[in-house]
Amino acid sequence: MRFSTRELVTMAVFGALWGALEISLGAVLKALHLPLSGALLATAGLTIALIARLFVPRVGATLFVGVVATILKLFSIGGVLIGPMIGILAEALLAEVVLSLAGRPRRPAFLLAGALGVAWTVVQPFVTGALLFGRDVLEIWLDLVGQATGLLGLPGSAAPLAAAAFAGLHLFLGAAGGWLAWQAGRQLSGRLASAPAVPKL
Amino acid sequence: MIRSGVWRATAATRAGGWRLGTTGHLSLFVWTLAAVFLTPAPRLWLAALVCLLAAIAFYPASLRRLLHRRWLILIGFMAFPALFLPGEPLVTLGVLSPSREGLQSAALMSLRAGMVLVAVDGFTASVSIGEIAALFERAGLRGLGFAVGVALNLLPILRHSITVTWHSLRMRGGLRRHPLRTLRFFLVTVVAGAVQRAEEIALAAEARAYSPGDARPAPLRAGAYDRLLLAAGLLVLLVLCLSL
Repeated sequence: MRFSTRELVTMAVFGALWGALEISLGAVLKALHLPLSGALLATAGLTIALIARLFVPRVGATLFVGVVATILKLFSIGGVLIGPMIGILAEALLAEVVLSLAGRPRRPAFLLAGALGVAWTVVQPFVTGALLFGRDVLEIWLDLVGQATGLLGLPGSAAPLAAAAFAGLHLFLGAAGGWLAWQAGRQLSGRLASAPAVPKL
Repeated sequence: MIRSGVWRATAATRAGGWRLGTTGHLSLFVWTLAAVFLTPAPRLWLAALVCLLAAIAFYPASLRRLLHRRWLILIGFMAFPALFLPGEPLVTLGVLSPSREGLQSAALMSLRAGMVLVAVDGFTASVSIGEIAALFERAGLRGLGFAVGVALNLLPILRHSITVTWHSLRMRGGLRRHPLRTLRFFLVTVVAGAVQRAEEIALAAEARAYSPGDARPAPLRAGAYDRLLLAAGLLVLLVLCLSL
């Protein structure tokens, strides 16, 4: 992957934005113990990465933004937790695959990329918890079901429905992020196109 | 004459400690993660012992940080549910009656979590951000070192910009009356400011004749024990995973 200087700087800036969000908003959401804080953080980060794709519409750009954000997260204070780093990389990779397969930037691709990226936060405990820390998969499933039934106010007997609804909620949040990225990105492109241009050398 | 991409055996020992190069630290980090993933549970304590010895040799400060209250509480939260695994109660501690299986599972989980925490902390403490970027550049992400440098320098400015924009919108009552539209304004304002900064930085880089195609990745720090550590690590991992 070879990018020009402008493309590198643009991706660096969006990576810094994502990293700044993870560091500041991540700490606040964690302190407040809000439900769906992981999904909200993933949505915000992916929105930024998807907007970056409109400015650098090349294969690998979204993954590059994710790698920059991961490195910034890795070296932030209190950033020794491997979970968020795996999360950022996986979300960026999923979004990159969808956007690369779609070819040029399109709204449905943005919605799908956002949806799949945020849905990863539901799957991630099964990967990091089971593979990395040796937790029992059943235990992780029960945690997920407990979270879903608590949030949606469903009884424990409706576990499959609660889990499906929980995953659906994540997909919806991600798609909403993708939609917001498309709308805001198009608005930004128009706004910046009409601004006085900085002369290129 | 310096030849890039070739390991140089430098004097790696100093009084009081061993020194690894960047690839040595990376090998150790990847080895620890591989050991956590691949080592069967009955032999995990051996892998933990090897990690402990490596940490004592190369990054003892990470071991001390593991004993901080925050990490102990984190490990405790992760391992606590495992105590309730069903089985014959082994010991009664008040209202808790953990079984042998529960205690074993909790111990294994704590061991894994401790190994990962020490490995990540040791790696980030021993390898600079520039070296991480150089590793990624060699893996195909050309220009990552430059991008990470720009991102790091912009981080405080962007955080300030985000804070100011947020408070401005909040003081104007945007969040109360039209929260969704305000969020979009917030996003557009922050990103527009960031993109304009990007334009200025790109111009400055081009004015200084920077070109990612011509720039070579930063040289990696070499250590005398890097290759030895890599070979020994592979051997130990094979022994741990394959021995009966």
